[in-house]
Amino acid sequence: MHRADTVFAGLLVLFSLVLFPQVLRLPIAWTGSGPGSGFFPFWLTVGVALHAVLILVRSVRAPTPPGRAAPFIPSEAWRPLLVVFLPMVAVIGLLRYLGIYIGGALYLAGYMIFVGHQRWTTVAFVSILLPVVLFYIFERWFLLPLPKGILLEYLLYGR
Amino acid sequence: MLSVFGNLLYGLGVALTPDHMLIAFIGLILGTAIGVLPGLGGTNGVALLLPLTFHLTPTAAIILLSSVYWGALFGGAITSILFNIPGEPWSVATTFDGHPLAQQGKPGIALTAAFTSSFIGAAVSIVLFTFFAPPLAEWALKFGPPENFAVMLLAFATFTGLGGADPAKTLFMTLLGLLLSTVGFDIVSGAPRMNFGLVSLQSGVNFIVIAIGLFGLGEIFLTVEEGLHLRGIRARISFRDLWETWRMFPRYWATMIRGTILGFWIGVLPGTGATPASFMSYGLAKQFSKNAERFGKGEVEGVIAPEIAAHSAGIGALLPMITLGIPGSPTAAVMLAGFFIWGLNPGGLLFQTQREFVWGLIGSMYIANVLGVILVLTLVPVFASINRIPFGILAPLIVILSSIGAYATNNQILDLWIMLGSGVMGYVFKKLKYPLAPLVVALVLGDMTEQALRQSLIMSQGSPAIFFTRPIALAFILASGLLFVLPLIRTFLNRRGPRLPAPAPAS
Repeated sequence: MHRADTVFAGLLVLFSLVLFPQVLRLPIAWTGSGPGSGFFPFWLTVGVALHAVLILVRSVRAPTPPGRAAPFIPSEAWRPLLVVFLPMVAVIGLLRYLGIYIGGALYLAGYMIFVGHQRWTTVAFVSILLPVVLFYIFERWFLLPLPKGILLEYLLYGR
Repeated sequence: MLSVFGNLLYGLGVALTPDHMLIAFIGLILGTAIGVLPGLGGTNGVALLLPLTFHLTPTAAIILLSSVYWGALFGGAITSILFNIPGEPWSVATTFDGHPLAQQGKPGIALTAAFTSSFIGAAVSIVLFTFFAPPLAEWALKFGPPENFAVMLLAFATFTGLGGADPAKTLFMTLLGLLLSTVGFDIVSGAPRMNFGLVSLQSGVNFIVIAIGLFGLGEIFLTVEEGLHLRGIRARISFRDLWETWRMFPRYWATMIRGTILGFWIGVLPGTGATPASFMSYGLAKQFSKNAERFGKGEVEGVIAPEIAAHSAGIGALLPMITLGIPGSPTAAVMLAGFFIWGLNPGGLLFQTQREFVWGLIGSMYIANVLGVILVLTLVPVFASINRIPFGILAPLIVILSSIGAYATNNQILDLWIMLGSGVMGYVFKKLKYPLAPLVVALVLGDMTEQALRQSLIMSQGSPAIFFTRPIALAFILASGLLFVLPLIRTFLNRRGPRLPAPAPAS
C-alpha cells in the first residue's frame, strides 16, 4: 500500500504539471478591470502542484513498513472488479446503438448470470421488468428522455 | 420571535398538504431503503434522485431530497445492528454495541434505542434549527463579497483542521475540487477556459456526475473488492421492546444532551457532517460512562450516543446550506447543487424571497421525522429483508441507476465516461485515504468562491487588505487561519506530550 501511495502521488505531480500549459494560456494577472480569467485557476494549479509534491516527498521519506507489502489490489479481487468495470465500458461505448434500456438490461442479465449465478427465471424476470419500469418512470412520468438507441427508436417510433 | 412561530405554522401548513406528505413519505421509504443497502449511500441516493426533481416545484423537490436524507439516517442503523455491516458511514459506530446486543438476542432493544435516539436528536435539533436559522440568514444579508469569500475559506479550513484525514491530502482534494469547478466558461468574462480544447467540456464539469462517480461507483468497486457477506439476525420490534427500551432512556440524559449539542454543532460546521459526529459522541459517552468497560459488548448507551449525534448533525448540516449557501455535509452539497437547478440562489435572501421553500422545508423536517420514526419502528422486518436481495442483482442495479442519474442531468454521453473515471478515482482515493468530502464541497462552492474573491479584489482594486479591514471578514479569516494550522499544532504537541485524539475521518 505504501508503494501505491508513492506511485499515485507521483502521478498527481505529473497531472498538475500537465495543467500548467492550459492555465498559462489564460490572463492570470490584473487586467485593468480586475483579476483575469486565469487568476483563480493559476493559483489553484500552483496549490495543487505544491501539495502533490508535498504528498510525494513525505511518502518517499516515510519508512517502509516491514514484511512483504500487500498489493494495492488483492489478486483475488481483480476478477470481480473487472467483471463490474469492463462491461460498463462496453455498454457506455455502445450506448449510441443499444440505448440505456437495452444496454442496461444486457448488463444486468450478464452480471446476474455470470457473477450472481441466479436462476434463469430470475434473470429474465428482473432484466425485463427493470427497463420497463424505468421507461415508465423516466419517459412517461417524469418526461426525461434517456438514450433509447437505434434499435428501440425503431421499435417504438419506426425511425 | 413571534414571526418565527407564524412562519413555522405556515411552513407546517405547507408540509402538511397531501402532495407534500406523499412526497415526504416516498422520500422516507426510498431513503430508508438506501440507508439499509450497503454500497448505496445517502449522498449518492440524493444525487440519483436529483434529475427526478426537475419537474417538481422547488418546495416539493427539497422535501423529497431532505426526506431521503432523514430516511437514510434512520435506515443506516438497521444494517449495522442486524448484519454488523454499516449501511452508511455514519452508522459505523452503531455496530460497536448494536450488533453485540442483537447477538445477545436483543435486536429489538438495539433497534428501538437507535431509532428513538435518532428521533430525539432530530427533534431537538429541528427546534434549534428553527430558531437559529432566521437570525443567521438575516446576519448573512449583511455579507459582501469579502465576507462571502471568508466564509467559504472557513468551510475549507474546517476540513483541514477538523476533517481528521491527512491535512496535505485534504488540502490537495479541496484545491482539486475548486480547480475542477473552473473548467468551462469564466463566470465573469464569459471566456472559455480549462477545457483542454474539448467542446463538450465547455459547459463545465457536472457536479452531480462527479458525486455519483466518486460516492456511488467508487463504493460499488470497494464493496465488490471486499465481497459482501450478509448474514443477519431477523428482528421485529415488539411493544415489550419499546417499553423496556424507553424505560431505560431517562438514565442516559447526559449522553443524550451531549450527543445532540455536539452533533448539531459538528453538523453546522461546513462539510463535516454526521460521520465524525457519531464517532466523537460515542467516544465521549464511553469516556464519561461509569460502565466504560461494557462499551463494545452490547451497552445500550453505545447505541444511543452515535445515533443521536448523527441525526442531529444531519439536521445541523442543512443550517449553513439554507442560510449561507454553504453545505454542512456532502449530502447537503448535493442538495445545494439542486438549488441552482431549481433556479434558486442560496443565501440569506432565500428567507425573504422564498418563504414557501424555506419554511416548507423546516415544516417538513418536523413532519418527516415523526413519520420516519413511526415507519422504521413498524416496518423494520420489511426494510431488513431488502438485504436478502443478492448482491449479484444489487450491484448491476446500482450501476444502472447511477448511469441514468449521471446521464439525465445533462443528456450527454461524455458524462458517463466522466462518471466512470470518477468512480475509478473514488476507489483509488478511498483506498489511499484521500478524503472525498472536501473535493465535492469545493466543487459545489467553486464558482461562488471565485466570484467572491474576484469581486472583493475589484472592490479593493487589487489589495488583499480588504479581507483584513472588515470586521466580520477578519474574524472568519482568523478562524480559518487557526483551523489551517491546527494539524501542525497537533503534530507538534504529539511529539512533545501525550497523544491528542484526532477526530474521526469525515466521509
